[in-house]
Amino acid sequence: MATPVSVLRLPKGPDPNSRGFDPRSPRFIALCCTSIPTSAASEADAEELQKEQHARSVLRETFLRCLLSMTNKKVQFHMHEKVKVEATFGASDIDVLNFQVSDLHTPIGVQKEALISPVRIAQPVGLQVQP
Amino acid sequence: MAMRQTPLTCSGHTRPVVDLAFSGITPYGYFLISACKDGKPMLRQGDTGDWIGTFLGHKGAVWGATLNTDATKAATAAADFTAKVWDAVSGDEILTLAHKHIVKTVNFTQDSSRLLTGGNDKLLRIYDLSNPEAAPQEIAGHTSAIKKALWYNNDKQILSAAEDKTIRLWDRSSMQEVKTLTFDTSVSSMEYMPDGDILVITYGKTIAFYNALSLDLIKSVEAPAPINSASLHPEKDFFVAGGDDFKLYKFDYSNKEELESYKGHFGPVHCVRFSPDGELYASGSEDGTLRLWQTAVGKTYGLWKCVLPEDLGAENSEQLYTSPPEIKA
Repeated sequence: MATPVSVLRLPKGPDPNSRGFDPRSPRFIALCCTSIPTSAASEADAEELQKEQHARSVLRETFLRCLLSMTNKKVQFHMHEKVKVEATFGASDIDVLNFQVSDLHTPIGVQKEALISPVRIAQPVGLQVQP
Repeated sequence: MAMRQTPLTCSGHTRPVVDLAFSGITPYGYFLISACKDGKPMLRQGDTGDWIGTFLGHKGAVWGATLNTDATKAATAAADFTAKVWDAVSGDEILTLAHKHIVKTVNFTQDSSRLLTGGNDKLLRIYDLSNPEAAPQEIAGHTSAIKKALWYNNDKQILSAAEDKTIRLWDRSSMQEVKTLTFDTSVSSMEYMPDGDILVITYGKTIAFYNALSLDLIKSVEAPAPINSASLHPEKDFFVAGGDDFKLYKFDYSNKEELESYKGHFGPVHCVRFSPDGELYASGSEDGTLRLWQTAVGKTYGLWKCVLPEDLGAENSEQLYTSPPEIKA
């Protein structure tokens, strides 16, 4: 009777909470281009790096404030096939791929609650983002 | 002592796995990408099957997936009418290439500068990845949906297989058709081995091997069941095939003898490929799993451990896991 080959363990499966590509892995650290142009240069200027980091922080904060300020506001979404729909904005997922909305007005009726993945969002004229 | 094959099952996909591809051997090992109808292609470490990441972004079934040689880029073809190029280190989407119909197949040139796509609109497209805004070059000719397209002969030519039951060879510079092979039924898979100048084609129950330069038939083998995919070992001593009877078959390439066959998958096998070092082969199935199979059963490699009888009782032996034995068909 043949003996089955032993294995050390089973292959690791996906992490349900993450899309993976661990930034701490040796391959990531060695190969991943930094998105900060200054730090990619061979002789990074500390002051320039600081300015870029600050600029990126500001951009991130502005983006998050923008998302927050849209909460409970009426927003227009441009979907695939040139469909435009209006809804009350709720929240975004971490990858900004899906949005939770309420009162979604679609060509075939009003959906009380929905999750959508639009091509882009167009805000109604007059919406101000407060810092 | 005879050893029985223990396949390693890679779970994670929730729908059928329809395509898979290995990268070349890199300083970090080699990698495996799987295309799945759940729309979420995954990258895995090639020798262990460990999940590395999932490429998120497609909005439809992913029909084709490929890696460039050094596994820094991935490309996928999907039912959402797009092909996408990804950074295979960070998982980020680099490019979305809009098409007019379902995209079925993608392939990088050796230097990763160009991407070839094909799909249900019957056109082959060549994208310059350094200038993705530019319109792709298009090659028309097939009369049905394209299933598979490959760069060929040092990227000087293109080979494509379609539902019109033909395989066509195209010259890259002139964009003209050079040769056509016609079959009685549409080809289910193609694998090109540039090093050995061999083309592996499957159709019906047949696994056929062609001289890649002349496109003359070298030999063909009939399997016990309809075959969806086959792969030739890098050293050309074996080939493996899988198809509609859920089994994996291993044949001797020289004498065409069926050496082994394995049950394991719970659905038809859609794709099978040898790893670049030939130590294992991976299969993707309708059952939503990928399985890794040893070429030399019992050898210590990856997660497989050769255990001699005298080691089994030793105090300091590693904790070993033995999965339920797979039934040899």
